[in-house]
Amino acid sequence: MARTQPPDTPIDLYAAVRGEVSWFCCGTAWGPCSTTGKGACGTCNSGSLQHAWPNTSDACWAITHPDTCGFNLSRRTCGFQHRTTNLCSGVSVVTSIADCGPQTDLFCGERSCCGSTCATDRIIDLTPAAYSKIASLSTGLRPCSIDTA
Amino acid sequence: MHGIAATQPYVIALFLVWAGLMKLFSRRMRARAGQTALARLVGAARAVPALRLVGLLELAVAAALLAPPLSPWEGVTAALLSAGFLAYLTYSYVAAPTASCGCLGAHSRPVDLRAFTRAGLLLAASLLAIPADPHAPLVMLGLAEAVALLALSAELDRHWLTPLRQLLVRLRRPLAVPPSEHVPLGTSLHLLYRSPAYCSASAQLTSDVQDTWDEDGLRFVVYGARERTAVFAVPLTGNDPSAVLVTLVGS
Amino acid sequence: MTSRRDMLKSALLGGGATVVAATALGSLGPEAAFARSAPDVEPGAPDPNFAEGRIRSIKDNTLLVLGSNMVFHSIKIVDGTSLWKLGPVPFDEAKPGDGLYARGVRMPDGVLAAESVWLNIVNIKGHIKNITDKTLHLDHNGQEVLCHVVAGKSVAVHSESPPTADLSMLRVAQHVQILGAWRPDTNEVDIATVFSPH
Repeated sequence: MARTQPPDTPIDLYAAVRGEVSWFCCGTAWGPCSTTGKGACGTCNSGSLQHAWPNTSDACWAITHPDTCGFNLSRRTCGFQHRTTNLCSGVSVVTSIADCGPQTDLFCGERSCCGSTCATDRIIDLTPAAYSKIASLSTGLRPCSIDTA
Repeated sequence: MHGIAATQPYVIALFLVWAGLMKLFSRRMRARAGQTALARLVGAARAVPALRLVGLLELAVAAALLAPPLSPWEGVTAALLSAGFLAYLTYSYVAAPTASCGCLGAHSRPVDLRAFTRAGLLLAASLLAIPADPHAPLVMLGLAEAVALLALSAELDRHWLTPLRQLLVRLRRPLAVPPSEHVPLGTSLHLLYRSPAYCSASAQLTSDVQDTWDEDGLRFVVYGARERTAVFAVPLTGNDPSAVLVTLVGS
Repeated sequence: MTSRRDMLKSALLGGGATVVAATALGSLGPEAAFARSAPDVEPGAPDPNFAEGRIRSIKDNTLLVLGSNMVFHSIKIVDGTSLWKLGPVPFDEAKPGDGLYARGVRMPDGVLAAESVWLNIVNIKGHIKNITDKTLHLDHNGQEVLCHVVAGKSVAVHSESPPTADLSMLRVAQHVQILGAWRPDTNEVDIATVFSPH
């Protein structure tokens, strides 16, 4: 029963959404980054201000399936800009889409908190350059707010 | 030697029927066809028709192998199919190493040594089938070959290998740790991130942890904060975020 | 170092600090934080205040790093620079061959004055294929990565429960995120944190 289009109104259509932000490496970089390569858009680099979004195409949505967690996100394609704000500090970064991800449906219900401010479910993955602008890389996962830039 | 050649067609046909039926009738497999190495080869738009064509071919060869008239050409056809399959696996490994094979299952598995070994054994079986042997097949040999080929099929791991590994993990407990007094730094940092103290100072922090030490039941964690230094004190016992202290110290 | 630690400790405990009140932050409040995040770098473009690559050589307090785009970076480590290699480490832990990410301030002469340096840090997601003695066999994008539990350092985080050093509730076939330190030129990683969804 593979649907190619999410039926419900995307939660990010009219307002900022809260969720978890993590980071991933891409490009021809050291370590296990080579398996990601240049990403679904062919332009991803760990040193650039870029991110992965769960709904860049039908094929992408078939992998990330945010609807499994009970919500849908807007279709945004390569190059689209989002602003990600760390809920702890208020610091934000604007990045453009370079890959498909994260695998939202594999982490449904996961929560990350800063103080008493919490957010659930993985919505966005940033490159190391972008994540380190708003949080320390060693944190690995942070609650955030995402809106269009 | 009698019966070995007669056994092979049944083993090969078993796999060809399985592969053919999956390609023709598994919706999940068709949904994932665009991510397989086959899609790389023929283009994403032609992946599903190509998959169906290969499936029909496999069923046709299986039917020929099982149907009564015995002919060396059946073995030859099966050998050609197996050789073609090996070539496809090689292409997949070289051109699209992280793509799924799209061979026998809908669960994406990149091509690995097990896949090559299975394809090689099927080729060997096809070659052994060429002398059309009228004798009765050797049932035990056939079963042994089938079990070996099934064990090499990564698509089936979730039915037996994963539960076996889960059982072994439950029995051996490879990650069990002896109880220890030492509190890992990660535990303290997680408590820190949940503290009001961290929330209030977070916007000022400009580095990761510069220094950390334990003293008097507290873990001190030091961060850079522009021209100043942020020092946190995190209790080593208990789980109360509000017990975390912070101050900013001028340079 | 000892006297600096004593100074920091007495500044913290002597003052009876609990939280840093918002008013005490004065001009360093959220507005300043926002100013720091103002778009000075084009989204999608390389960030000049960030460097990525492998350490080629170390001279005095400068790391010479070759980026994956074949560009060299000079990264200067100063007193306030934090260095991470499976946790905070002193400068002499940096070795040629280490993978590196660094964030700081790009000086006019092109040198990056580092605020934070992370060595060999990876953040990989995948399925646990098997668990053997103190090792998780992770399937990361079709590649097997051996993730080693380090006594006294590795912790598991299950959603927002307190992290535990006992990783034995991890299951074969489950999906996890592993933050850790890559062992250069291998497919092995030492685990700092395992994030488990359940």
